[in-house]
Amino acid sequence: MAARQPFTDTDTADEAVRATCDDATTCKRFATSKGYWKDPYIQYFARSVGERKAPEINRGYYARVQGVNHLLDAFIKKAECDCQVINLGAGLDTTFWRLKDENLMPRKFFEVDFPTVVARKIHNIKTKPPLSKPIIETHSTDSLLLDAHSLDSDRYCIIGADLRDVSNLDEKLKKFQLNPELPTLLLSECVLVYMTPSQSSNLVHWAAETFHTAMFINYEQVNMSDRFGQVMIENLQRRQCTLAGVEACQSLDSQKERFLKTGWENADALDMMTVYSMLPQDDVARIERLEFLDERELLQQLLQHYSICWASKDKHNLGLSQLAF
Amino acid sequence: MAEGGNDAELLKEKANKYFKEKDYENAIKYYSEALELNSSNAIYYSNRSLAYLRTECYGYALADATKALEIDKNYIKGYYRRATSNMALGKFKAALKDYETVVRVRPNDKDARMKYQECNKIVKQKAFERAIASDETKKSVVDSLDIENMTIEDDYVGPKLEDGKVTLKFMKEMMDWFKDQNKLHRKCAYQILVQVKDVLSKLPSLVEIELKETEKITICGDTHGQYYDLLNIFKLNGLPSETNPYLFNGDFVDRGSFSVEVILTLFGFKLLYPNNFHVLRGNHETDNMNQMYGFEGEVKAKYTGQMFQLFSEVFQWLPLAQCINSKVLVMHGGLFSEDGVTLEDLRKIDRNRQPPDSGPMCDLLWSDPQPQNGRSVSKRGVSCQFGPDVTERFLEQNKLDYIVRSHEVKAEGYEVTHSGKCITVFSAPNYCDQMGNKGAYIHLRGSDLKPEFHQFTAVPHPNVKPMAYANTLMQLGMM
Repeated sequence: MAARQPFTDTDTADEAVRATCDDATTCKRFATSKGYWKDPYIQYFARSVGERKAPEINRGYYARVQGVNHLLDAFIKKAECDCQVINLGAGLDTTFWRLKDENLMPRKFFEVDFPTVVARKIHNIKTKPPLSKPIIETHSTDSLLLDAHSLDSDRYCIIGADLRDVSNLDEKLKKFQLNPELPTLLLSECVLVYMTPSQSSNLVHWAAETFHTAMFINYEQVNMSDRFGQVMIENLQRRQCTLAGVEACQSLDSQKERFLKTGWENADALDMMTVYSMLPQDDVARIERLEFLDERELLQQLLQHYSICWASKDKHNLGLSQLAF
Repeated sequence: MAEGGNDAELLKEKANKYFKEKDYENAIKYYSEALELNSSNAIYYSNRSLAYLRTECYGYALADATKALEIDKNYIKGYYRRATSNMALGKFKAALKDYETVVRVRPNDKDARMKYQECNKIVKQKAFERAIASDETKKSVVDSLDIENMTIEDDYVGPKLEDGKVTLKFMKEMMDWFKDQNKLHRKCAYQILVQVKDVLSKLPSLVEIELKETEKITICGDTHGQYYDLLNIFKLNGLPSETNPYLFNGDFVDRGSFSVEVILTLFGFKLLYPNNFHVLRGNHETDNMNQMYGFEGEVKAKYTGQMFQLFSEVFQWLPLAQCINSKVLVMHGGLFSEDGVTLEDLRKIDRNRQPPDSGPMCDLLWSDPQPQNGRSVSKRGVSCQFGPDVTERFLEQNKLDYIVRSHEVKAEGYEVTHSGKCITVFSAPNYCDQMGNKGAYIHLRGSDLKPEFHQFTAVPHPNVKPMAYANTLMQLGMM
C-alpha cells in the first residue's frame, strides 16, 4: 500500500474523522434541497443549505443513500420489523426518523458514534421537536434515559463510544437492551476505513460472534490503489485525516474477505457505479435532470472508488443471502 | 379536542409568534399541528410554505403553496408563495404565471407589480438566450462603460496597461501579480475585455493559419481555472511569443477557482500576439456552464455582475475551430451529428450567441468520439458521439489529415483514437484536485505536422478549493 504518514497525534486524527460527519451532513443537506431525495429531518442538523456542491457529488450521495436504504429496508422487511438495527459511526444520520415515517421501524434502532458527535446529536434531538417527538411518542413512559453521551428510549438509543474498544461497545449496547437473539442489521458508512485493519477486524468479528442471524452493510472506499485513490488519500492527509484502514479497500474482493475471514457466511460487494446502474432507472433519470453534469468521467471515477459490501449469517434461514440489488 | 377549529387557530397563532421570532422550526411544527386539526385551511399551508422558504426547503414550500391554492384558488398569498418557491427552484416561467395572476387581481399593488417585472426580466433574458439568432441586437455592456473615466486609486500598486496597451512587461507583471493572489484593477480588466472583444469579433468562425516549415505551434486543451498549472505550462514550454505560438482549445474557466486569472492571462496574450496566440471556444465559455460551475460566481465575487456580462459577450465571439495548413482541424468538442458538413459550413456559422441545442455549432463544442462505428446518443445528453467512420468520411470530404480536440479528461493528458485521426488533448492535471490525471500539450511542426505529446503533472496551488465560487442560486426576493 502507499506510504502514509503515521498519526502525529491521535486526537488530531480522531478530530479529523469526527469532522467528516459534517461533510456528509452538508452534502446531504445540499442534495436534498435540490430535490435529489426527500429528507425532512436533515435540516434540523444543518440549518442552512450552504455552499453549492458539484453535481457529481450530489449524484454520488444519491447513489449512496438509495443503495444503503435499499438493502436496509429489504432486511427490515425480510425480518418483518422483528429485528434490530445498529448504525455504527452514525454521525447525524436521519434514518431512524425516516423508518418511523415509513412504518418500517425495527424493534430498536441503535446509533453509536464518538461521544462528542453523540452529544451534538442529542442536543439537536432535545431542542428540535420534529426530532424528539417521534422518540417520545414511541416510548412507553414519560421520561427518557438521558445523559451527556447517551439517550435511550424504547425504540431509539444513541450511545457515545469508541468503536475501536469493542468490549466497551458490547457492554454499552447490552446495557441498553441489545438483544443478540434478534436478527440484527449493522451498518457502517465510511467508518471502518478510519481505523486500522486489525481494529475493524475485531469489530466485524465481534458482530459475527454476537449475532447468529445478521447482516452487516459496509459503505466505503474501494479500488484505492490507483492514481485516483492515491490523490484521495493525499487530499485527506492534508486535512489530517488518515485512511488507516485503506488496505481493506484495495478491491471488492478485499472488502468481502474481511467479512468472510471473521465468521460471516456470505459476502457480496458492488462498486457504486454498478449500484447506480441497478437503482430504479426512472428515478435516476429524474435526478439526472436536476443538474447538468458537464463531465461524466468525474462521476464515474467517484462511483468506482466507493462500494457497498454486505455480509450475512443466517441461523434462522430468513433468506438473508438473497438480499441484493 | 372539543373545538378543533379553535385549537387549530391557537396553534397557528403560536406558530406565527415563532415565525416572527425567526424560529422557523417551531413555526413549522405548530403549523403542522394546526393542519392536523384542520387540514383544509389554506392559510396554514401558506404560512408553513413561507416558513419552509426561510429554511430553504423549496420543494416542501412549493408543495404547501400548491395545496393552499387547491383549497382556495382565490387566496392571493398562495400565488405569491408558489411563485417564490418556483423562483427558488429556477422555474421562472411558472413563477411568472403566478405573479401575473396576482397583478391581475391586485392591479394597484406596487410590490406585486415589481415582483412581476423582476421575474419577467429573468424570463425574457432566458428566452432571448434560447432563441435562434434574431435581428434584435442586444445592447452591449461596452456601450454603458466609461473606461476612460475610471480612475485607478493611488494605493493600487498592481500592473497597468501602458498607454492603454498590453505589453510583454505588463503580462509578466500581471502573471506575477496573479500568482500572489492579487486582483487586477477593474479598469485594466475592462480594457483587456473591450479590446479582445474587438479582436475576436473580426475573426472568422473558422480560423485558418499556415505554419511554415520551420515554425511550430503548441496546442493545449482544457485548463479550467487551474492558473498555477497554466503558469507551469509556460515554465515548461516557454512564454508565448511570435516564435512560440500557442492554441488554447477552450474550457479556460469553471471548476477550478482561478478562472479569472486564467482567462485574463490568455486574453492578454491574445492582445499581445494576435497572430500567434489563438483561443477557441469551449462548451464552458457559455452562460449555462458559467452559472453552474463557478466562473460567474468568481467574477461576481472578484468584480461585478456587469463584468461577467462582458465576459459573456466576449465568449460569444470566440472562434469555434481552427485549421492548420489545411490539414489539421482543431475544435473543442468534436465532429458532427450529420454527415456532409464542410469547412465552408464552419466558416459561415453565425457564432455570436449562446450555442443552440443542436447543429454544427453545438457539435463543435459538445461532441465526443467513440470507439465503435456510427453515431450514438451522447452520454452528456447534448450532441452526439461519433465513430471512426464518421471521422474518416469528414476528413476525406474536407481533405484533412486528422482532428485535435479536447473536452474529455484523460488519465495520461492525451489520447489517440480513430487510428490516429482523432486526438484528444487535456491540459488540466489532477482535474478538480481529485482525478490524479496528467496534463498534456501537443507540439506541431510545420515541416511534418506530426503531433508530439508532452505530459506534465499538477503543481501546488493556494488553498482555494475547486468550484469555490459556485454558489447556490442568488437570494431571490422572498416575501
